[in-house]
Amino acid sequence: MKIAVCIKQVVTRDWPLRVAESATWVRDDDASFEMNEPDAYALEEALRLKELLGGEVVVCSAGPARVSQVIREALARGADRAIHVEGEALAAAEADAVAAALAGAMEGESFDLVLTGLQSDDQGFGQTGVVLAERLGLPHATIIMEVDVADDGGSLRVKRELESGWFQWVSMPLPALLTIQSGINQLRYATLRGIMAAKRKEILTVPAQSAETAGQRILELYVPEKSSATRFIDGSAPEAARELVRLLREEARVL
Amino acid sequence: MILVVAEQRGGALNPATWETVAAAQQTGESITVALVGADVQKLAAELAAAEVAEVLAVEHDALEPYTPDGFVAALAQVMEKACPELVLFPHTYQTRDYAPALAARLGRVFIPDCIASKVRDGQRVFVRPMFQGKFMADVLPQGPAPHFASFQIGACRADACARGAAPAPVREAAVEIDAAAIRQRPEAPFKEAKQAVDLTQAERIVAVGRGIKGQEHLPVAQDLAKALDAELAASRPICDSGWLPMDRQIGSSGQTVAPKLYLAVGISGAIQHLVGMKGARTIVAVNKDADAPIFEVADYGIVGDLFEVVPAIMAALEGEA
Amino acid sequence: MALRRDLAGSRRETPEKADVERETLDVDVLVVGGGPAGLAAAYRLARLNEERGGEPLIVAVLEKARAAGAHMLSGAVLDPSALSELMPDWKSRGAPLDLPVRDDRIYFLTAGRALPFPITPPPLRNHGHYVISLNRLAKWLTEQVEAAGVDVFTGFAGTELLYEGDRVVGVRTGDRGIDRHGERKPAFEPGVDIRAKVTVLADGVRGNLTKTLIRRFSLDAGRSPQSYAIGIKELWDIDPQRLAAGSVIHTMGHPLRFEEFGGGFIYALPDGRLSVGFVAGLDYRDPLFDPHVAFQRFKRHPLVASLLAGGQMVRYGAKALPEGGWHALPRCHLDGALIVGDAAGFLNSMRLKGIHLAMRSGMHAADVAFRAVRENDVSAGRLSEYARLVEAGPIRRELYPVRNVHQSFAGGLLAGLLYSGMSLLTGGWWFRDPMPAHAGHERIRTVAKYFGGAAPPEPPSAPIDRELTFDRLTNVHYSGTRHDENQPSHLLVADTDICRTRCMEEYRNPCTRFCPANVYEIVDADAGEGKRLQINASNCVHCKTCDIMDPYQIIDWVPPEGGGGPSYEGM
Ligand SMILES: Cc1cc2nc3c(=O)[nH]c(=O)nc-3n(C[C@H](O)[C@H](O)[C@H](O)COP(=O)(O)OP(=O)(O)OC[C@H]3O[C@@H](n4cnc5c(N)ncnc54)[C@H](O)[C@@H]3O)c2cc1C
Ligand SMILES: Cc1cc2nc3c(=O)[nH]c(=O)nc-3n(C[C@H](O)[C@H](O)[C@H](O)COP(=O)(O)OP(=O)(O)OC[C@H]3O[C@@H](n4cnc5c(N)ncnc54)[C@H](O)[C@@H]3O)c2cc1C
Ligand code: SF4
Repeated sequence: MKIAVCIKQVVTRDWPLRVAESATWVRDDDASFEMNEPDAYALEEALRLKELLGGEVVVCSAGPARVSQVIREALARGADRAIHVEGEALAAAEADAVAAALAGAMEGESFDLVLTGLQSDDQGFGQTGVVLAERLGLPHATIIMEVDVADDGGSLRVKRELESGWFQWVSMPLPALLTIQSGINQLRYATLRGIMAAKRKEILTVPAQSAETAGQRILELYVPEKSSATRFIDGSAPEAARELVRLLREEARVL
Repeated sequence: MILVVAEQRGGALNPATWETVAAAQQTGESITVALVGADVQKLAAELAAAEVAEVLAVEHDALEPYTPDGFVAALAQVMEKACPELVLFPHTYQTRDYAPALAARLGRVFIPDCIASKVRDGQRVFVRPMFQGKFMADVLPQGPAPHFASFQIGACRADACARGAAPAPVREAAVEIDAAAIRQRPEAPFKEAKQAVDLTQAERIVAVGRGIKGQEHLPVAQDLAKALDAELAASRPICDSGWLPMDRQIGSSGQTVAPKLYLAVGISGAIQHLVGMKGARTIVAVNKDADAPIFEVADYGIVGDLFEVVPAIMAALEGEA
Repeated sequence: MALRRDLAGSRRETPEKADVERETLDVDVLVVGGGPAGLAAAYRLARLNEERGGEPLIVAVLEKARAAGAHMLSGAVLDPSALSELMPDWKSRGAPLDLPVRDDRIYFLTAGRALPFPITPPPLRNHGHYVISLNRLAKWLTEQVEAAGVDVFTGFAGTELLYEGDRVVGVRTGDRGIDRHGERKPAFEPGVDIRAKVTVLADGVRGNLTKTLIRRFSLDAGRSPQSYAIGIKELWDIDPQRLAAGSVIHTMGHPLRFEEFGGGFIYALPDGRLSVGFVAGLDYRDPLFDPHVAFQRFKRHPLVASLLAGGQMVRYGAKALPEGGWHALPRCHLDGALIVGDAAGFLNSMRLKGIHLAMRSGMHAADVAFRAVRENDVSAGRLSEYARLVEAGPIRRELYPVRNVHQSFAGGLLAGLLYSGMSLLTGGWWFRDPMPAHAGHERIRTVAKYFGGAAPPEPPSAPIDRELTFDRLTNVHYSGTRHDENQPSHLLVADTDICRTRCMEEYRNPCTRFCPANVYEIVDADAGEGKRLQINASNCVHCKTCDIMDPYQIIDWVPPEGGGGPSYEGM
């Protein structure tokens, strides 16, 4: 089975980010980066499927030169080769542009299965995978918690997460695209041998083609303001408690 | 015209639909609501109570149960006929599953997970969180209309949805669907007791910190959580001591949550804790130290001994129930 | 609680579980530590491979940080002499040295004033040096080293030395995927035995492997005990107009008292970024001294506060540095191993500079290791050529004349200043040679002794406003520190009973003050009675201060799971 995994490099989760001077993006020139968390689970799922069924795992990443860091990490974990769609503008690009860039590079490969994370930790659009499926003409399913490939290798049965504890099994023919939920499996560690082997693996770098994409422009990025100052509730414990319950019911309406 | 895409499952409307209608009403534009399924007349009539221009019943046998292929095909046809300027969805798992594909098929932009929309320099922009809620962004949709956007659940209040003087007309919107072209075959949804709690989905959270002093006092917080129908969570020291499992830890090395209500008892509010819960809609803090940093993010604060205040809250809840 | 942690901690001594299949990897030279010393050694070896031809030596570097350079914290003003010799074409290879020092000032601070020293004493002059970020330099050097054919394994900590008899034959990396109770998690991955003909220990100040080696072979016999300081540093973004890029400021005096050794530094990087730090000798006597508070008070001094006002703190970190100088250097060669950089103590505390000496020692070690492997003789005798290179080269030329400086500060600032001035004039000769010195942790007094039995006065404090001054926890947030929390504590406290009994009584738990990351807390005991030590191991920024300074020497810092620790981008 030929599996593609799309990975994104994002700013490390608890990096103290600040808005850039332009006010339309963050200052990330000195940030530390890591693999987007759900993408790491997607990669792990692909590696497990490969171990089970044989075949090949190809990591695909669209982004500026710095994303080679996560590409190498993926190769060290066990991916076989990589496609890097390189473009400076992809660093802050919207989902549609990223999907277009990836689709352009992946089209000729005829993958049997494409995995992506369900959303990214930075922009959080949660649509790159779905748009990519549409652009590649593949059926898709999102927020996947379990993947079963049929014995004949021609179809899939996957467990989708719905809201509030509900789940659903969905079947579909291959090739297909799935967006993977964090926690679907246990991530493995990169090994010394993996890191050494990664050096010899192929990374195909292709320049991003400019594509027609529907745009969304960030006019301003800002720190959310707290709506109101803290309201201290005075009085004896029973008084304060009664007042709190009243406020939660009538003002905040959360009870 | 704004088109609101309603959501239903198993004969019931998803209440988030009303919130999205309310969000649409705030723009002052004319509103059409579309409801997709196999047999939706009854629910369409329910929707018609809202103050909207029209309700479209988009019916086809192949549209039940939900599949992304079916919904994309159906709604693409609806869009072509109705020519809305703006299409709004509730930001549900279902919307996330097909709306991006629908927008891509039509070559339109989709701005997901918005908390508000507003007019900025004469243009309609959408406000959405980015970088896990650390920032908000004003996003301007580009390209030809209709623009698509989805609203976070809870961004608008369902009861803010205005009712019309008379029910709005319900119209059937015929669509052609090739059932054989639908590639996904869904099975019936089922409920599963999750092995791990998912605090990110909790609507209310009671979080307990080192102010609780000892494991033997934990029931104080547990009882409060039960009374509020809330999940119990904790700061790191509590989980670190093994008093609660690690999956209940909130903060930079635990979960990031954004419930409607976050009630912090005996938590000082160190930055590593705050980053995990700042996004909660209403934050209540009970702490005996008036200078504790938790009060910097709290909406309501009670300065006092939690061993007095928490039982009092329980009493107040019971008293009024 | 304490019991459980101790059990978890002792896993390192438990005999191998039979079912562990440990991979082994064979290399010619293994470098432990991807700091300037280790990277210089690796690069030199790669160059020698190229220059000398023949079967190339296999060289690998182990680094515990998740990413190259992530555990680098320095000032830093770089003396480029060693780099220029290692890599004459560093400029064209894009080395991140683009800001020459343009202005060099020293102030003596009183509580409210800053008195400039009229002339900068010669060894502090920084002409021809560069203001850099060591994190950037290490990242770039790592790229150069990898491009030259060396494997750099980031995210792997060396936890044990491997021996054959008394010969060092390599390093074992830490097991990964063990939970806090010492049990294996599903992703468990046993450590790897990396066997090497020569192991170059570049594990930095108070390196965990070097420490065991020094103890096992008494490499410090007959030497002065090593002394240390802790450096706490923040990066700030300020209005670039306030201080020209390339400016270098050092301070002495406030908030330290005459009996304490240390001082502040402010280096101006490009675009309004300031490196602001404070170094305090880890040989203070006052058990209530708090380096973090001293740093906050330093920032509140008008000289510093006026620079930082309205700016934003963007990064925080702390790290110890060795200050014992020439007389405290241990023997650095033994069968199969060499010790380089801060691990050995090659740092000029007079100039607060160690990077160039670390690199220089790495280069010497590489030269010796290369020849020794080629000649198939890695005995201590063969490797002693390293000591000769150090003796005959720039390292001794720099360290020997200032050999007594730090020890003299043990007598207080004034004596130290006078002394170090005399040292420079006289070439380092003074009453005794070497001067006696005590290990820093032996100098700390009990509360009763220090305050003569009287109730100690309220120690100096600094109000925390979270704009100019910060509490430890907020600061740690800005160090980017992260560890998998579900792992055994990597701070092994041999006897936590001492903490709640003797230490509380005698020293009032100085660990809660000298640890810059709030790892140690004294909290109410679980049963509600008395107190106990709480170890927040995942806060640790790997500064090594506790391992150095704890008065009972019962804290052992061992590496946590590889990849854990701070993330010092730009530091
Ligand atoms: C790298 C790193 C990661 C971290 N990750 C996390 C994380 O994910 N989550 C997290 O929570 N922390 C995390 N921390 C720890 C964090 O910094 C704090 O130490 C922790 O949140 C403090 O927990 P607390 O508020 O319960 O305890 P404390 O700070 O001890 O606060 C206890 C509070 O209880 C109040 N109190 C005491 N008695 C009473 C009473 N009777 N009635 C009312 N109030 C009372 C006190 O006034 C005080 O404010 C992390 C730290 C680091 C360095
Ligand atoms: C606050 C401060 C300011 C300073 N200012 C200056 C200055 O202005 N100019 C100057 O020249 N010098 C300065 N120094 C000194 C200089 O930074 C050091 O001398 C230099 O970094 C030493 O290099 P090293 O390679 O020996 O050790 P380090 O730089 O400490 O590198 C050691 C590396 O080994 C890794 N490591 C440790 N143990 C293990 C293990 N078990 N397994 C795997 N990896 C491990 C560490 O993570 C680290 O990356 C300063 C130091 C401090 C603390
Ligand atoms: S625990 Fe020790 S090594 Fe870690 S930050 Fe604290 S003093 Fe430094």
